[in-house]
Amino acid sequence: MSIAEERLLAFAEEKLVTVPFDVYRYDPARGGQPRYQHYELRLAPHTPVLTGLLRIRDEIDPTLALRYSCRSAICGSCAMLVNSKSRLACKTPVGPEVKEHGRIVIDPMRNQPILRDLVVDQQPFWNRYEQMEPHLILDPKRPMPKDGPTRMSPTEVERFKETPRCISCAACYSACPAVEADPEFPGPMALAKLYRFVVDPRDGATQARLQKIQTNGLWLCLRCHLCTEACPKEVRPSERIRDLKELAVEAQGGTEPGSRHAIGFLKNIESAGTLNELKLVRQTSGLGGLVAALPQGVRMWRKKPEITKSPHPIEGIDEVKKIYEALDGKKKGKE
Amino acid sequence: MLQHDIVVVGAGLAGQRAALAAAKAGHDVALVSKLHPLRSHSGAAQGGINAAIGKDDSVETHIYDTVKGSDYLGDQDAIEFFCQQAGPTVIEMEHFGTIFSRADDGSLARRAFGGAGFPRTIYAADRTGLALLQGIYEHLGTETIRMYDEWFLLSIIVRDGRAQGITAFDRKTSKIEGIAAKAVIVATGPFGRIYGRTTNAHSCTGDGVAAAYRAGANLKDMEFVQFHPTALLESSILITEGARGEGGILKNGQGERFMARYAPHVLDLASRDVVSRAIVTEVKEGRGFPGGYVHLELMHLGKEKIESRLQEICDFARSYAGVDPVTDPIPVYPAQHYMMGGISTNMNGETNIPGLYAAGEAACVSIHGANRLGGNSLLETLVFGKQAGIAAAAYVTTAGDTELLPEDLERETAKFRALWDRKEGESPRAVRTELQQTMDKLVGIYRLPDELYDALRKVRELQERYRTVHVVDPSTTYNIDLSDALEVGHLLDLAEVIVVGAIARTESRGAHSRVDFPVRDDKNWMKHTIAHRAPGGPELSYSPVGYTHFDPKERVY
Repeated sequence: MSIAEERLLAFAEEKLVTVPFDVYRYDPARGGQPRYQHYELRLAPHTPVLTGLLRIRDEIDPTLALRYSCRSAICGSCAMLVNSKSRLACKTPVGPEVKEHGRIVIDPMRNQPILRDLVVDQQPFWNRYEQMEPHLILDPKRPMPKDGPTRMSPTEVERFKETPRCISCAACYSACPAVEADPEFPGPMALAKLYRFVVDPRDGATQARLQKIQTNGLWLCLRCHLCTEACPKEVRPSERIRDLKELAVEAQGGTEPGSRHAIGFLKNIESAGTLNELKLVRQTSGLGGLVAALPQGVRMWRKKPEITKSPHPIEGIDEVKKIYEALDGKKKGKE
Repeated sequence: MLQHDIVVVGAGLAGQRAALAAAKAGHDVALVSKLHPLRSHSGAAQGGINAAIGKDDSVETHIYDTVKGSDYLGDQDAIEFFCQQAGPTVIEMEHFGTIFSRADDGSLARRAFGGAGFPRTIYAADRTGLALLQGIYEHLGTETIRMYDEWFLLSIIVRDGRAQGITAFDRKTSKIEGIAAKAVIVATGPFGRIYGRTTNAHSCTGDGVAAAYRAGANLKDMEFVQFHPTALLESSILITEGARGEGGILKNGQGERFMARYAPHVLDLASRDVVSRAIVTEVKEGRGFPGGYVHLELMHLGKEKIESRLQEICDFARSYAGVDPVTDPIPVYPAQHYMMGGISTNMNGETNIPGLYAAGEAACVSIHGANRLGGNSLLETLVFGKQAGIAAAAYVTTAGDTELLPEDLERETAKFRALWDRKEGESPRAVRTELQQTMDKLVGIYRLPDELYDALRKVRELQERYRTVHVVDPSTTYNIDLSDALEVGHLLDLAEVIVVGAIARTESRGAHSRVDFPVRDDKNWMKHTIAHRAPGGPELSYSPVGYTHFDPKERVY
């Protein structure tokens, strides 16, 4: 028997384990308080959480409400919290969850109003997606070819590598603390979608899209990468947001506090290897911003007077400069 | 009462394409779906969409391959139109924004698919359905269409010999509404959940097909059920034909490339019915792996190719079968995959009921005949979705106003309440499970008359038991217990038609393999089965196959 066959047999004949589920239950239409309901099943460790929940519905409790359809991680219906993490239930095996947490706690996704049990109201999520104008906007000067498909170079195609995999499951949206904190933030999925249109060679509104998003939430991303951790399809939304920021700065320079902060940060480190807080405030928010920050600055100065002084370049500043030169060269090489 | 010019039920590729065509013609269009449109099962299609756009290829060859693939049951006139539309359709979708995979020169990449004379399947990695669904949905956003997301269809209202609209309920409130419309387009996709071993999503329960059948629409060729040769062993999750198109091979338990015995010329890329039968035969004759399956090997393609072109199925194999296709063979066995049959339509999506249209997998034109070729179903959704939208748009410009009467709504509400208010009875899911086990066991790839009769008895017994199923959940919000019960009713109606059609057809053609009638019988059976609902069950009649110039030949791959 080959190793592969052995592995497969082991997989098929895995010993069943007891899987304790604690599932969030709440039906606002019928009143009462949210509660957790306990269920137990005997399942093979590789069984997806969704299969477990459907078995609960089939065998124990048909009143459990959840969204699901394809059971193969392509329709994006069954995102929920599995032991507090935003996951697709159909793509999360029960074994490792039980091993790590001893049980499986299931909650509805975050950042979306609960309709019932695990079903959330996704309208706000879809609205943010719609705000990105998620369709090709043609430049009248560059119409589509009359009798054939558009040609795309391998470099152009390469930029589409991750974003078409998005299944709109909202796991990223659920995991995002910026969405929770700020209703202005479009969220990771919407921004990844926007990136997909910004890099599309067929789209004629790249600059307008970048300009619009710069003042509409692009710089509100906290760079925590929780969306990338949550994404079941490797879209890596936080990296697409970073790509958008780079494109925005490259195309439009420091027009917004967000982009000016990024540029200021970069320059600070290049010149001294460390941050000059005072200078950074001015670079980000201008003189007006500096004046506005004055009361806070005074309080900081009382505790730490050295903040007003320009910091000396750090000891290894030459090494820092070499990194910058190397990165510059790499960028030029790319171009 | 809600009112629109045209109501489209089902928001997958066919439904969205129909809605788009109708809206572009200037009509007030409603799009009703029990899921958000982007969650439709069209998105699960992996392999690709056929179009003879290569210099070495021709529309004529695509037509021939499709006629041959259909085992001469496809309508040749419809197939000609269909294949001629392929190039323009793919180009249009590219212009709408679909992100296809590209060849090095920047043109659309193509891969080989089963039963095709040339590599003519255009693709987007192994998620072509998702790419097209995103493309059409994005473009649909530029039109004004009234969306009824997560609304569940109850019935199609036919009165005075024409469709008058639908009744449906919002899953968030369970409140029944009537939507009056001059034309109704059904695009609710397949009903693969009649089977337990199916690649179809849980939502594929034929709601629109059952509603049309109950409203008096004819169903066509329902006995032709396609089994995909390569579904993952335990979960029946689809492993695209593209995997073999990229060079994947099938091996039996003795390490033998068994397709050489069944299709000496094209081997693993024979038509789906041929490959599925080969796998079942290998396993039945003791040459499968213990537990009853064969291997799909990709390892020789190399990590780079596997991970770039077959990204999703890599993920599936790793997540759902515990094997890594880069280093291990994938355990596969056939599973129900596609319904060639459906609501009987002509090339314009018209049914036997004025004002009622159908498109996509819910419909049967028929271009797939007795066996569909891979890469032709995505194309069908778009070509005939558009046709149905255009035809419905033309119809409503001259058709008089329709209305739903209070009694239309009362009748549906009474049925709905009767189901929901029942105080005791069997679980709808218990009935569903027995139906699925019955169909898996008795109405599979090889069909025996005794088994088919057993299946019919069982389905009718289940229909009886269905009358007393009990919905336990009292909630009006997202009540899946209730939608399960409604869906099981649809599955039972359609299963009966499949079995009755299979009993009657005493020949073997395409996906319908009768052990007692192992050869194709063109003299008696080159005709479509038409099923019409009657009190005692489906009544069958037959209609001729559209013929242009391809005379039936023996199918050799």
